[in-house]
Amino acid sequence: MDGSVRLEELVMRFGDFTAIERTSLTIESGEFFSFLGPSGCGKTTLLNLISGFLTPSEGQVFIGGEPMAGVPVNRRPTAMIFQNLALFPLMSVFDNIEFGLEVRGVDRKTRRATAEHLLALVALEGVGERRVTELSGGQRQRVAIARALAVEPRVLLLDEPLSALDLKLRQHMRSELKAIQRKTGITFIYITHDQGEALTMSDRVAVMSAGRIQQVADPMTLYRRPATGFVAAFVGENNRIEAKVIERLGERVRLDAGALGELEGHVGKEAGLGGGALVSLYVRPEQLRPVSAGASGPTLAGRVEAVHFEGAALMVQVGLDGSGERLRVQLGSEVSRTFADGLAPGVSLTLGYDPAETVVLPRDDGSLVDAATGEVVAAEGGSHV
Amino acid sequence: MFRQLRARFGGPLAAAILALLGIWLIVMVTLPQLQMIEYSLRPNLLPAQLGGPDDRLTLANYATLFNNEIHRAIFFKTLWSSVLVTLLTLGVSYPLAWYLAKVATPRQAALCLLLLIIPFWINEILRTYSWFIILAFRGPLNEVLMMLGLIDRPIRFLSGDGGVMVGMVYAYILFMVFPVYNAIESLDDNQVRAARDLGAGTIRTHRRIVIPHAKPGIATGCIMTFMLAAGSYAVPALLGSPGSRWFTQIIYNWFFEGGNWNQGAAYAFLLLVLCIGFMSLVMRVFKVGLGDIAK
Amino acid sequence: MSSQRLMAFGLRFYVVVFFGYLFLPLAIMAAATFNDSRFPTVTPWDGTTLRWFGELWADGGMWQALTNSLIVAVGVLVVAVPIGIATALFLNTVSSRAKPFLYALILSPLLTPGVIIGISTLIFWRQWGVSGGIFLTVLGQATFIAAYVMLMVTARLQRFDRTMERAALDLGASQWQMFRRILLPFLKPAILSAAVIAFLQSFENYNTTLFVVGYDTTLTVYIASKVRTGLTPAVNALGLILILVTVLLAIAYEVKRRREAARQDVQA
Repeated sequence: MDGSVRLEELVMRFGDFTAIERTSLTIESGEFFSFLGPSGCGKTTLLNLISGFLTPSEGQVFIGGEPMAGVPVNRRPTAMIFQNLALFPLMSVFDNIEFGLEVRGVDRKTRRATAEHLLALVALEGVGERRVTELSGGQRQRVAIARALAVEPRVLLLDEPLSALDLKLRQHMRSELKAIQRKTGITFIYITHDQGEALTMSDRVAVMSAGRIQQVADPMTLYRRPATGFVAAFVGENNRIEAKVIERLGERVRLDAGALGELEGHVGKEAGLGGGALVSLYVRPEQLRPVSAGASGPTLAGRVEAVHFEGAALMVQVGLDGSGERLRVQLGSEVSRTFADGLAPGVSLTLGYDPAETVVLPRDDGSLVDAATGEVVAAEGGSHV
Repeated sequence: MFRQLRARFGGPLAAAILALLGIWLIVMVTLPQLQMIEYSLRPNLLPAQLGGPDDRLTLANYATLFNNEIHRAIFFKTLWSSVLVTLLTLGVSYPLAWYLAKVATPRQAALCLLLLIIPFWINEILRTYSWFIILAFRGPLNEVLMMLGLIDRPIRFLSGDGGVMVGMVYAYILFMVFPVYNAIESLDDNQVRAARDLGAGTIRTHRRIVIPHAKPGIATGCIMTFMLAAGSYAVPALLGSPGSRWFTQIIYNWFFEGGNWNQGAAYAFLLLVLCIGFMSLVMRVFKVGLGDIAK
Repeated sequence: MSSQRLMAFGLRFYVVVFFGYLFLPLAIMAAATFNDSRFPTVTPWDGTTLRWFGELWADGGMWQALTNSLIVAVGVLVVAVPIGIATALFLNTVSSRAKPFLYALILSPLLTPGVIIGISTLIFWRQWGVSGGIFLTVLGQATFIAAYVMLMVTARLQRFDRTMERAALDLGASQWQMFRRILLPFLKPAILSAAVIAFLQSFENYNTTLFVVGYDTTLTVYIASKVRTGLTPAVNALGLILILVTVLLAIAYEVKRRREAARQDVQA
C-alpha cells in the first residue's frame, strides 16, 4: 500500500491572493510528516488541497503515485482529523466509527467488528454504545482517530487535532498518536503551529511561512541547522547578532560584529558567503554559558539585566557591552547551581559558545517575515529576536 | 446558483431544491400576483366579448374606487382604522413586552410566555367569536355595565367600528408582543442601569435607550399588525355590521356577489399597495431593512 | 411609596389585567357552551346543560368540514414543508448578487394580506379551468406557510457546523448520503416543529381559505358561517373542544421544546 504524497508545482490562489506559492514536495509512504507554521501561512490550504476540499490553481497532487486531479474528496484515499474533530453529535460512538464503512455498503457485522478492533487500538473499549457528546475531550479525540482509520486511508491528515486539549492531555496524546502511526504504518500528515508537537512526533517537518515552504528537514536538523532566518527564529528560541564576514574557513566563518568584537560561527557547505558579506549570527540561549574573561574562543561581554527562574532552567537577560543589544541566556541546573548566587542584575558576565552549534545566514533573509506572527514585514536590520 | 448548490448537495438534490424553489416563487407567488394585476387592468366582459374591441387594457377598474364615494370612504376608513389598531396594539403590548423582557424573573417570564402562546394557537375566528359573545346586545359586558349603573340601556357595540377594532387588537396583539419582546430582550441590562444611574427617569430611559434599541421589533410588529388588520376579513365580518364594512368585504363582494373579478382584482391590488406603502414607510421611519423583519 | 415602586406596582397590575383580557373572552365563550339558552351567552344563565355537545355531534356539516380541514392541512404539509426546507437550504448555500431580491420575494408571502394570496391564487388557476376547492385551498395556504417553514428551518440551519459535512464527505459519503445521514437528522427537530406549526396554520386559516375554498367548507369557514347564520351554542361546544385540543397540543409542544433546549444546554 503506497501512501506517498507528492506535490508537483502546486500553486493555490484565491482571487489576487496567493495562498500557496509554487511548491514541490514528496512525502514518503509511512512517514510522520508535519507542516509547521504560524496561522495564515498556508498549511491548512495545503491540507485541503491534499484531501480534495480545494482544487489547486496550478500543479497537481499525487497520492501513491496516482494523480488526484478530478478525484473528489469522497474518493480520495485520505482521511482527515478535523481541528474540532467534527464527530457526528447525534450518533453513537459505533455509528461514528462505522459511518465511513456504512456509506461504502459494508455489512453491519463486518462494520461492528472493525469498530471494535479500532476502539481497542485507541484504547477505548466498551464505549461504543455511548453518544459522543457523553465523552471527555481525550476520548473524543480517540474516537475521531478511530473513525478516520476505519476507512483504511493510505494517508491520514491531521488538522491541529490536539489544540483543543489541555496541556497534560496534549502531551499524552502526542505519544499516543506517534504509537498509532507506528502500529498502522499509515502516512500521517500533521499540521500545527505548535513546534513542540511537530518536533516530538515527526519524522520530517516542513516549516512554512507566507505560503512558502522555508525548510524541510528532520526535527534535529531543523533545530540545529535552520536554513533561513525565519526558521532560525520560529523554531525554538534564538539570539541574533548582526555581523560582517571577515573570512571563511570551510564551515567556519570569522565575523566582525562591530562593537562586539570578533566572533565565530558555522555555515552550511552550500552557503556562498564570502568576505565582506552582511550576515546574521544565530546563537541559541542554551548554547551560551558563562566563561572566565580570558577564555579561548569567541566571547561576548555584558551585564546581567534580569534573571527569571523557569523551573528546570534559569533564563538570564544580558545587555551586551558596546552595542546594548540584549541576549537571552538559558542556564541548565548544573551551571546555574554554581552561578546562581552571583547572578544579580548589574553583575558583569562573559559568555562563551561553541561556534559549531551556531548558524550564520545572509542578513536580508528572514527579516522579511515576522517570526512570531508569520506576517511579512519590511526588511529591517539591527533588531534581534 | 446551481453550481454552488451542486457543489454542496450533488446534482439531483440541487436540481430538486431549485425546482421546489422555482415552483413556489414562480407558480405560487409571482405569476398569480402578476395575473391579478393583469386582471385588474381589463374590463369585465362576457365570454363572447373576449378578444373583441372592448378587450383592452384600461384603468377603469381603478377609476371606480375614486368615483364611488362609499368605497372611497371605506378604503380610507380601513386605512385609518388599521393605523389606529396598530398604534393601540403597540401601546397595549409595549409595557407587557418590557415586563417580560426586563422586569419578570426567568420563571415568571417563562410562565407568561407559555400563557401568551396558548391563545396564539387558537383560531382567529374563535378568538373573534368570543368577543362577539361579550359585546352582544344582551351580552355580559352590557349586563355588567348596567349592573354597575354606568349605563341605563344596553349599547349596540356590534354596530360601529369600535367592536371591530377591539376585536382586532385582541386578535393580533401577539404579533406585536413577540417581536417587541424579542427586541427588548436583546438589550443589555447594563445600558438601562447606566441610563438610570446617569439620572434618566423612566420615560426618558425608554425614549432614549429602550425604544431605539427595540426599533426593529417595533417595526416588525407594526408591519405585521397593520397588514393583518387591513387585510382582515374575519373580524369585521363577525364583529361589524353592514354599516361598518371593511375594504376586504368590498373586495369579497366584487368576487362572490358582484361577480366582477376584474374589479375585485383592482381593489385587491390597491389593498396590497396600501400594505406595501405602509411597510416602506415604517421601514424608512425606523431605518430597518428586510433582514431585521424576518428575525 | 416612591415613584419607582409605584411604577413597578403599576406594571405588575397591568400584566395581571392583560392576562385577564387575554383569557376572559375565551372563558366566557367556554362557559356559554354549558348555558341552556337558545342563543350563545352567559347572561342570563338559563341552567346548565351538555346538550350542545350532542347537537354538535349530530351535525353532519361539521364532520364534513372537519374532514376537509384535515385533508387540506395534510396537503399543505406535503407541499409547504419540502418547499420550506429547500428554500432554507438554498438561502444557506447560495451567495449571489440576486440573493437580496430573491430573499425579498421569499419573504413577500408573509407580508402580503391573506385575502390577496387567496384572490391571486383563485384568478391564476381559473385560466387552467381550476376553480375554488380543496386543491386551491392547499396551494393558497401553502404559499405563505412555506415561508414560515423556511424561517424555522433556517434558524436551525444557521447553527449547523459545516465541518460535519466535510467530515462526512472525507469519510467517503456521497453528497446525498451526507444530506440523508448528517444534515437531515440535524434539521429534524426544526422540521417537526415547522410541520406542527404548518398544520395548525392551515387548520386555522380563514382569510386566504375564504377566497379559494369554493363550494367545499373547512372548519373555520364553517364556524364563521354558523356565527353569521344559524348561531347556536353548538358553535361554542366546537370552539371549546378546539381550544382544549390546541391548548393540550401547545403545552405538549412547549414542554418538548423546552426539554430539548435544556438537553442541548447540558451538552454544550
